[in-house]
Parts: sequence; structure tokens; C-alpha cells
Amino acid sequence: MTTADDIFDQSFSNIQRLGLREIPFTESPIDLRSETLQRIFTGRQNELRQVFNLFQSRERRRILVYGRLGIGKSAFLLEVLSVLRRKRPKMLTTYISLPVNLDLATTALIALAREMADDDWAQQQLYQMGIPTEKILRERSSEISANMGLGAKAGEKDLPITKPQYPTVSLDTLLERAQAKYPDGVLIAIDDLDKQNPSVVRQLMHDAQGMLKGRAWFLLTGHPMGMTGDLLTSERGLFDLQLKLEELDLLTTYQMLINYLSSARIDNDCTDPRDPRSVLPFLPETAEEFCQASLGKPRLFNRLGNTILVTAADLEAERITPEVLAQGLKAAAPTLRQQAALNVQEERVRALLQQRRSLSDDTMTIADLEQLGFRSFNEVLPILERLEEADLAHQLNQDDAKVFAPIPLPSADDELLPEENI
Amino acid sequence: MGKKGFGQSEPPTWKAKKFMRAFMQRVAENQTQANQFFLSNQAQLDESLLEALPLVFAAFTADKLPEERENIAQLFLTFGNLIQQFPLGDRRLNLELAITAYQLALQVYTRQAFPEQWAMMQNNLGNAYGDRICGERAENLELAIAAYQLALQVYTCEAFPEDWAMTQNNLSNAYLYRIRGERTKNLELAIAACQLALQVYTCEAFPEDWAMTQNNLGNAYLYRIRGERAENLELAIAAYQLALQVYTREAFPEKWAGTQNNLGTAYCDRIMGEQTDNLEQAILTYKQAAQVFTRKAFPEKWAKSQGNLAEALIKRASLTDNATDLDTAISLLQQALDIPVTGSSDFIDSQYQFGNALSRRYEHSQNPNDLQQALQAYKIALDAISPEHYDRKQIWQALPTTQSILGSRLVREGRWQEGLQLLLNSVNQLSTGGDPLAHANALFQTGRAHEFLSDWDNARLYYRDALRLYEHLKDQLGIAKSRAGLGGVLVSQGYLEKGMAELAKAVEGYYQLQKPDQAAEVDHLYQAAQRAVERQTTEAYV
Repeated sequence: MTTADDIFDQSFSNIQRLGLREIPFTESPIDLRSETLQRIFTGRQNELRQVFNLFQSRERRRILVYGRLGIGKSAFLLEVLSVLRRKRPKMLTTYISLPVNLDLATTALIALAREMADDDWAQQQLYQMGIPTEKILRERSSEISANMGLGAKAGEKDLPITKPQYPTVSLDTLLERAQAKYPDGVLIAIDDLDKQNPSVVRQLMHDAQGMLKGRAWFLLTGHPMGMTGDLLTSERGLFDLQLKLEELDLLTTYQMLINYLSSARIDNDCTDPRDPRSVLPFLPETAEEFCQASLGKPRLFNRLGNTILVTAADLEAERITPEVLAQGLKAAAPTLRQQAALNVQEERVRALLQQRRSLSDDTMTIADLEQLGFRSFNEVLPILERLEEADLAHQLNQDDAKVFAPIPLPSADDELLPEENI
Repeated sequence: MGKKGFGQSEPPTWKAKKFMRAFMQRVAENQTQANQFFLSNQAQLDESLLEALPLVFAAFTADKLPEERENIAQLFLTFGNLIQQFPLGDRRLNLELAITAYQLALQVYTRQAFPEQWAMMQNNLGNAYGDRICGERAENLELAIAAYQLALQVYTCEAFPEDWAMTQNNLSNAYLYRIRGERTKNLELAIAACQLALQVYTCEAFPEDWAMTQNNLGNAYLYRIRGERAENLELAIAAYQLALQVYTREAFPEKWAGTQNNLGTAYCDRIMGEQTDNLEQAILTYKQAAQVFTRKAFPEKWAKSQGNLAEALIKRASLTDNATDLDTAISLLQQALDIPVTGSSDFIDSQYQFGNALSRRYEHSQNPNDLQQALQAYKIALDAISPEHYDRKQIWQALPTTQSILGSRLVREGRWQEGLQLLLNSVNQLSTGGDPLAHANALFQTGRAHEFLSDWDNARLYYRDALRLYEHLKDQLGIAKSRAGLGGVLVSQGYLEKGMAELAKAVEGYYQLQKPDQAAEVDHLYQAAQRAVERQTTEAYV
């Protein structure tokens, strides 16, 4: 009889059989340690250059990083921060994920106060908002190797926060104190603005104009829609740089796979793409096929990669041969659906999308809409975005319409290999 | 007075029994006497009495001889009749008490044993359901109609001509206000029932009933959908004028004022004749009604007639651009705001009307205070609509429409977050309602607001949604304006040719609708886009 311990060991040895210590793929870059991120972060050279160019000036800047869900905005933000921490020790860098129902000034205040563990006034601010301060002290004590000193991302959103009465003034005061200690300035990175309704974000930005033009550097991530063409961002010049992150090209994706695998591989840290060992346990052909299937989208890449490795481990495979890859990709669609836990309505939209191969606000008919129980596309859009979030659909890069297509993955009941990518 | 137990309150049935016995002893079938009794025992008229009535009836009738049971049924019947007509206290509760009392009495007064009493009670039950405040209004009106129809099975024209005519008249009223079924058909049924009643209720034999039925007939014509509206309004005016031959100010001041009010409404809507004259007549008529419906004597009717007068003044203001009329209307409405019971349908109507008047004045005055107050009034109206509200559906549909207009206005005012929120709320509410045109309009307004905010992606999305729905509804003007909006956005985004195609269709649509001004405006945009295309081509060659 197999005991739970045996099963654990078996599971571990299945991964080891693939030559890996662990499965390196992860959905959220926030879980990564700084040095791991440094190893696996790939590409985006142009974008990094644009950002770092700004940092060569003493002038404070505001940077907006935007792009579709799962395109790697958070990872980009964290990579920038991690570089700055190494290269600019006299600059205070802070990171926070925008909590629901909180204004930007209070959010920035929290982010900054958490990084100022030695400052009693900062800690008092946190205390007054009902935010525990102990943890920060601990994290600060191991600054260099700490995982960015950010704390739990998900839990933080649920905190009931008593907003300070004058967050902008409090923030300004705190910035003044911080600048006394950090002569190179303060950078506040606020992530996940795109997780909220664009109109809410627009209002937040509007309300925060004074703060954004104040003492600190700001690095924000945003929604792909409704921010770029916006009156506030373009005409009033709120941002010095608006950086759009696009899908990675195939070569970069391939290099990213190499970096991920080498970060977890046992006894082999080959990262030369010309050497087939660099993609082990993948074979160069399956590595390429996998990269194609992930459409240059880092989150999809991670989700698919995870399923493929789990499948390979279950099959007790040593290499990801074309057959193993096919099995893995076949398992991906049901896994994604299962993870998405769609409701009836979402499932209906998904089925229609699958059937039509694409849905757009330009071409959808009233009959299509009525079939789904709607009269207008704007009611379907949140559902399509939900599917996009779950990697069951993706938005095509067409700027004159909103076009969604299913993620091309083999369905569980046929034996076809993945279709060609769009 | 014995009190059982220690410190316990008296059981409800005990109090109720005592109350009903007192009622039996002190009240004959006289309304004045009853009103006095109810007034001095108002504290007893409460929920616990309503709850206890069935128990009291059961206790009173248990193991009793048929004659005694009949007496008890008679007592409940009388109580029902009198409490139904008691003008003070909690009207909602009074009607519930009446309905319960009738239903209990019907246990004894069965159709087989007491056909006449049974029919009378069905008629009364119909009246009580027709006025009922609890429950869903649509359902209550169905119950009223069913009760009248039962009554008419006994009250035939041959056997009980007078009762038959009375029930027909009541039935016509229920059809007039009916919510279910096709409105067109319901109004025809209302007219038919009035005309039947008038066969018995002649002017000579039953002048008062004749006048009442003429008044009701006038109401049915006022709202009639079939036939020519102009002609129906003439018929309504004629019927009201007949009613006023009997309902004189001296003899029937309240009824006279009521019919004057109705007549005013008919004049206000009148199509024949000069509109200014008709409005003058309407205003004059409303003012006469107001002489009887004073705030002190008839607060609710006073408030309603203030609202009517305001409506006529607003109409006149829109004809003559007379700012004074609008100001007067607003102050009339404002004075009457505190009369209707908070949350009642009159309350919601009056807030809504007030909001409309203010937002209309804003169009002229551009005074942000007006807009602010209008928004406030709409918000109060919106907040007052609870799911239990019996006219919720109708008002619910009217409100999002206004929200969308107000929302787009706020966006243009620069209060875009608030405005957009209103627009999105309205789009959301209208998406499930039965008014796709209002939904399409709200989608269009939302598109425009996004365009105003230079949010091209959303503007395009909402214009496309509006266009799709307008096309489905074959609304040519809507199609033209959404194409114009969509074309403009596409051009702004740099999709010149795609945008120009939409603009060209919009120009054509506006010409077909004989709207040369709009066509020229859109054409101007088209030409600008055309020049941009030419510039691009030239640049490409250079």
C-alpha cells in the first residue's frame, strides 16, 4: 500500500526525472524572489532602456506601463524596481498593488510608509489606518534578499482601511522625511490599476494629479483601453512616458523558456539557444511549438508550461517529446476551463466564441447578442475580458474594433496537434 | 377588565374581540357615526387587529346557529364597508381590514345561500382591491376585475339594473388603470363598460351616477389609444362637460373640482384648436379646481392639481419661451413636494416632475444650481423606488432615460465621473427593460460622453452598440446619428477610410430624413477627413 509520503516522493521523483528541481512556471511574478526574477526576466530591452534613460535625470518622472492582461506588466515593474535597488541604493523604491476602493494618494502613502520602518511617524500613519506594522520591520531587516519586501498581494486588497483625512498632505510630509534619508529620491510603483474599472481609474488619476506632479517618481501599470487616448494622460501630459508592452516575439519567448528552465534544472545551466541542452527537458522542436502556443503572452506561457510539465511528470516522461507535448497541450484547455470556473453565462459566451472563431463589436449581430441574452456588446465585453483573464480567449491587436478569439489549443476530444497561430 | 398572567400584554384576539363588540354596539350602518367611532378608537386600528380578525370571526361564529352566523357576517360586512370609506388613519391598513372582513363574511354569505349579498360583497371587494396599496398593483387590479365579473354573474341587467350599472362603472375604472394585458384593449373595455352603465344611468333617472360615469368615460377617452387622438380628446372634453352639468360647484364641490381637473388635462393635451388657447383654457380650468382643492381641506388633491397646473405652465413656457411660467411651475411643484407620503407613487411622480422642470429650466438658465437640484430630485425619486413599489416598472423605465440625459449633461459640464456613472447605470437598467429604444438612446449618449472624454475605444464600442440596436428597431434618425458618431471617432483614431464610409452613410441618412443642417455638419467632417487622406497621399509621394 502506498502511503501519502510515498506519493509525495514519487511526485518529486517524477519532476526530477525531467531533470528539474521544481516546476519553474508561476502565474504571478509577485511570488518570485528578486534573484529568481532576475534570472528569468527576458526581453523588453527597448522598454527597459526607455525607462532607465529617464532615471539618468534628476527631474522626477511619471511612467505609465500599459498593455493587455497577462502581458507581463507586473514582472516589468518588479524588474525595474529590482535593478534600481541594486544600482541606486540611495533611492527608496516602493511597490504596492492598488487596493479596491482606495485613492492613489492613500495607496502611495501606504506603500511608502511600509518601506520606512525606522520612521515612527510613518509607522504611526500605518497604525492609524489599521495596517499591521510588525511584518515590515522583519522584512526590512533582510533587505537585499527579501522578496521585494512587498508582503502578500491578495490579502492586502481585503484590508479594511481607515483612510487618512488628508492623504495628499500626509504623503507629502512623509516624502519630505524620506527624501532626507534618500537623496536620490523616492519611487512609488503602483501596480494593477488595470484590475479596476477604467472609469474609476480615470477618476483616480484625475484626483491624483497634484500628487503625481509632486515630490516622488511614479511608476504605474494601467489598462490597455481608455487610458492612452485619454484626455488626462495625453493632453495634459500627466505621464512623461507611456510604455506599451506587447506580446513577446518567438525568439524572445524561446529565450524566456531557456531562462525559466535553467533556473530550475539540476546540473545543467546551459542558456545558449544554439545548444539543445538549453531547453531540456524540452526538445528544441517541442520547445518551439510550446512557445508558439503561448502566443508571446507571459502569463499564458506560465500556465501552459505548468500544465505541460505536470502532464509530463504524470506520464513519468524524461523528455518532452512531441507526444508528451501534445498530451500536455490537450490537458491545457480543460485545465484552464476548470481553473476559470465559468458560470453559465460565461460558458455560453465561450461556446459561441469557440464556434465563431472570433467575436467583435463590429461584426456581432443583434441575433448573436440575443442568443446570449443581451442587446449590446458592452454587456458581453466583461465576460470576454473574464475569458481573457482566464486565458480562454485573447484579444487580437486590432485597434479599430474589439476582437476576441479563442486561445488556439487542441480540444480534449480530438487528436489534432495545435492549430497554427494567428 | 381582567388581565391574565403577570405583566403580559393582552393577547391580540382579546383586544380585537372587544373592539368588534364595541363596534357592533355603537355603530349602525351610518358612515358619520362610524367615522366618529373609528376616530376615537384609532389606536385600535392596527396590524394586530388585522391579524386577529380571522380568529375573532372564527370565535364569534363557532357553534352558532345559522341566523347568528348571518348576524356576524353582517357585522363584518358592515365593518368592511365603513372602514373602506373611512377617510382618515392609515389608508393601507383600512383597505386590508376591509378586504379581510369581506373575505370572512363571504364564508357565510355564499353564492348559493345569499346571491345578492354575495354579489354586493364581490363588488365591494373589487373596489377595495382597486384601491389597495399593499401587494403588486397589477395583481390587485386583476383581483378587482375578477371580483366585478363575479358580481355581474348575479347582478344582471334584467334582474338588478341599478347594481349592474354600478358594477359596470366600477369595472370600467379597473380596466382604465389595468396594468396587465394590452393597454389598447383595456381602454376599449373600459369605454364599453361605461357605455353599458349609461344605458341604465340616464341623466333623468340617476343624474349623479350619470355624471360620475360620464366623468369616467371622459377619462377612458383621454387615455384611449385606438382611433384618432384628436377626436378622442374631443370626446373626453364632451363627456366631462356633460358631467359638469350635474356636478355643479354649489351642489358637488369636490366632484366638480375633480372633473375640472380632468377637463384641464384634456385641454392641456388637446390637438384641435389653437394650442395657446387650449393651454389658456387648461390653466384656467386647473385654477378653478384649485379653488376647491385647497391645501388645507384636500392636501393630496391640492398637490396633484398643483402638479397639473405646473405641467400646463411648463408646456406654455416651451411654446412662448416665457421664463416666468417655468419659474411659477417650479415653485408650484416645490410647494407641493412635502404632501405625498414619502415613497408613495405620488411622491416619486412629484419628485420626477420637479426634476424634469428643473432640468428644463437648466436648458435656458444654464444655472448649475438647477441641474444640481434636478439631480437631487431624481435621486430622491430613485431612492424611493423599492422593489415592492407597485408602479415601479413604469417609473423605473422613465428614470434611466432621464439619467442618461442628465448623465451626458454632467459629462459635458465636466463632472464626468458622476455623469458617466449615471449613464452607465441607465444603460445597465435599460438593458433588461422593455424599452429598447430608450436603451439605444442611452447607449448613444454613453458613446457621446466617451467621445467627449476622448476615450475613443469606448466611444466606438457604445456607438456601435447604439447603431446595432437602432438598426434592429429601424430607427432612421438613431442610425444616422450613431453612424455620424462612429465615423467621427474612427476618423479621430486615424481610420480615415473606415470612418468616412460611416460618415457618408450618415450624411445620406440625414438627407433622407430631411435634416439638411445635420447632413451638412457631418459632411463638413467628411470633407476634413477627405483632405487628411489627400494630404497623406501627397506626403507618401513626397
